[in-house]
Amino acid sequence: MGADPASSLRARPDGEGRLRVTSLAAYYGELRAIYDVSLELAPGEVLAVIGANGAGKSTLLKSIAGLMNHGARSHIRGAVEWRGKRIEKLPPEAIVDAGIALVPEGRRLFARMSVEDNLLAGAYLPRCRKAIPTRLEEIYGLFPRLRERKGQVVSQMSGGEQQMVAIGRALMSSPRLIAFDELSLGLSPAMVDEIYAKLREIVAGGTAAILVEQDLSRALAACTHFCVMLEGSIVLEGRPGEVAVEAITAAYFGSSRVGSSVRPTSGAGPNHG
Amino acid sequence: MASDDLYWVLVDLANGVLSGAMLGGYYALISVGLALNFGVMRLVNLSHGDWLIVAAYIAVTFLSATGLAPFWSLAIVVPLMYTVGYFVQRGLLNYVSVQAAEHRGMSPVFGLMLPLLVTFGLSIVLSQGMQLIFSSDAATIRNDLSYSAIKLSDDLSISTLRFGFFVAAAVLLAALAAWLKGTHIGRAIRAASDDPEVATLMGMRTAHVYGVASGVALASASIAGVMVGMSRSFQPFDGPPFLLMAFGVVILGGLGSIAGAFVGGIVLGIVQVLAGTWFGPAAQQVAGYLLILLMLAVRPQGLLARG
Repeated sequence: MGADPASSLRARPDGEGRLRVTSLAAYYGELRAIYDVSLELAPGEVLAVIGANGAGKSTLLKSIAGLMNHGARSHIRGAVEWRGKRIEKLPPEAIVDAGIALVPEGRRLFARMSVEDNLLAGAYLPRCRKAIPTRLEEIYGLFPRLRERKGQVVSQMSGGEQQMVAIGRALMSSPRLIAFDELSLGLSPAMVDEIYAKLREIVAGGTAAILVEQDLSRALAACTHFCVMLEGSIVLEGRPGEVAVEAITAAYFGSSRVGSSVRPTSGAGPNHG
Repeated sequence: MASDDLYWVLVDLANGVLSGAMLGGYYALISVGLALNFGVMRLVNLSHGDWLIVAAYIAVTFLSATGLAPFWSLAIVVPLMYTVGYFVQRGLLNYVSVQAAEHRGMSPVFGLMLPLLVTFGLSIVLSQGMQLIFSSDAATIRNDLSYSAIKLSDDLSISTLRFGFFVAAAVLLAALAAWLKGTHIGRAIRAASDDPEVATLMGMRTAHVYGVASGVALASASIAGVMVGMSRSFQPFDGPPFLLMAFGVVILGGLGSIAGAFVGGIVLGIVQVLAGTWFGPAAQQVAGYLLILLMLAVRPQGLLARG
């Protein structure tokens, strides 16, 4: 199943504005959570990272956002290139300044702050402050519910509304690449539909996106290309429609027997999903 | 006769509540730095009281050198102590904080002990250093307000100095709350206190944010220090009692809350003064600590705990 990283992607010339991850490995102490991960993303593209619990999807996003080389307990190896510059050694605050924003798993809002304060916290960087009124209007236009509740403390809101705040907070930094970690986790199906509809609006503006998702059909419907992670590395990649769903399912569950009754391998990898 | 007795009881009560509340403003300003440090960085700064005395000594030195009115000492003391607080945080406390210990994978118990030990050490270094420089002679900031009073009626009056402190404390605490609420750096301080890791994802450099919070904590402590110097005489080893009192205020009001520090200060002030009026001066301190014990027993999160 270990396909050649570039084979299923169109060959593209080098250029500005893209993310290129080469042979990335990430460790929690001695424990290797992901290894030999390589991927590329151009402006306007949506990459879905699919995989079971513990496959290393979140670790991949944290590595790109700079959270894995932050402290002595975890580190990364390999290269992350963004718009022609190496960023794998930069701290998270420099990476968001460079235009990569992360919507973390579980939303992780500033729980004691209001909706608007959470959004404004996302625009902390000096380069973002001038555009605050326009960005706020855009986000309130995207999620009208947030305008109604801008004074509310976020811990009192529903999961879906909190997810809207988390997305809005990330958008406040005017990112060129936005990474969503487990967007649909714990949300009602109707809310997931709404959030995914907004996601299409966001990427329609030319922002690249990485989408970590356990829900296979959702992810495939929303992405321009995908990769499947299993036990810390990429085992399959391609474009939806070019790869048979059975092959994707098999890669997801780590089974070579297509369509058989395999259990979800939730304990498959190091459990840092 | 009975109505006369009642009158004097009421006068005592009114005087106690008034002067206790005035005292409370001053207590609140002494404590707010401790509350800020704890609320933002989970740092219990055992050297807090000593910094008050350091500020008072700097003010005395400045005033005796220039001969200006006491108020002008703030122009030197506040920016100086802000700078000191910022760099002590960035150069020392950021490396021994709970967060730094977590970062380096140390045990949580050690992570809690480390900042306590270091700030305790800092307290000793400060008080010994002050004794070395200023000797142990009592010092005070001379001012005209110490002996004047505002008369409200024949039997009711409040100290002009205390009233000034109360107004100053109320204004400063309101300004501090507004600053935390409405500025980018204030929002960053609140964000970093909620979730330091996610704060970095917003582009906030937590080392700098903590530095600013500590600088503001010491700047407020320095204003309180000048007030201490204006209302009594002080010596190099007078810091720790202020630390204890500030702990009491923070426990009463709610950990890490500015409004809580204000309310806690006023409650403590009123209880102390009333106890002093009715049971003699010795009862003042005891009543304060009994109140703190009671609060810990029935409402350990304090009166105005933050969510």
